[in-house]
Amino acid sequence: MYIIVIGGGKVGYFLARALLDEGHEILVVEKSPARTEFISNELGSVCVRGDGCEVSTLTDAGTGRAEMFIAVTGEDEDNLVACQVAKHKFNVPRTVARINNPKNEAIFKELGIDVTVSSTNIIMESIQEEVPTHSLTHLLDIRDKGLEIVELKIPADAKTVGKEIRELSLPPESRLFLIIPGQGKPRVPTASTVIQAEDQIIAITTPESEEALRTALRGS
Amino acid sequence: MEFNKILVPVTGRPVDDETMRLACQLAKKNKGKIWAVCVIAVKRSLPLDAEIKSETAKAENILDHISTVAEEADYEVETDLLQAREVGPTIVDEAVEREVNLIIMGISYKRRFGQFSLGNVLPYVLRNAPCQVILYHQYTS
Repeated sequence: MYIIVIGGGKVGYFLARALLDEGHEILVVEKSPARTEFISNELGSVCVRGDGCEVSTLTDAGTGRAEMFIAVTGEDEDNLVACQVAKHKFNVPRTVARINNPKNEAIFKELGIDVTVSSTNIIMESIQEEVPTHSLTHLLDIRDKGLEIVELKIPADAKTVGKEIRELSLPPESRLFLIIPGQGKPRVPTASTVIQAEDQIIAITTPESEEALRTALRGS
Repeated sequence: MEFNKILVPVTGRPVDDETMRLACQLAKKNKGKIWAVCVIAVKRSLPLDAEIKSETAKAENILDHISTVAEEADYEVETDLLQAREVGPTIVDEAVEREVNLIIMGISYKRRFGQFSLGNVLPYVLRNAPCQVILYHQYTS
């Protein structure tokens, strides 16, 4: 697959290296001459100097035949413009943009960028997974439907321990679809399933109902 | 100095002939081997293995001609046609692969923006070559 990477910083360099190792045809477009030389010395003829937001640079880069276009500069504006030019001028089927400010995620989606990657959000999700104070963990966003899959662990002191699911006031937009007990096999919950301490509950919900779901499952 | 493996990149310019004759002279002493290579630079808008008939035909003519020049100098050369994104790294890679001990390149006096310029390929080869490099400039009155 021919993949163009805009931005030859640390992210772009390591990304290009990983994609090359996977056997893809890669081209990195980088503004800085020193960085371009560094990447060329390290990875071979896979880096050109230029502005990834300019049509002429992207034409020379053969964007018309690229199957994926990834913009990972440190500037959200550049990533957005580069991806938009690739998408609308060169009809690249898949565009991926790095987002530095998580607030820009919505606008990127609105403007047709296929995939956005926010390092801030990724770190936040890791914190949620690793740090026990965050009882609700995001597993997957289904953005076009406005839904998300979350995981919640029932602490031993939760008021819901010993209650059946039918007794809980779950928000109407939320559904529980898997319970992984502390010991034993995972099971699909029913209305009569009893909540146990240390149960891991996987649920689908909306971002707005997150707090209500947490409250319903923990009882506080 | 003894050179028994010589790489001669050719581009179809008049200086190629004299460069090849020089390579033949240097190789003769040690009955060395000469490779003449012509590199087709493929634009990024095309896949690397794209068949560019016009360029291929041109490069084949260049290599046929350079073989004739070598034959006239009573020497036999091996020719190779390569397709790559960039010429400089390809020449260096070829030199490494064939373990040559000399690269001879013909140059012409080029001006860019009114200034003498060696272009991109020569400086790259001079910086990265794994062996000795001779630049040959043909005098034209």
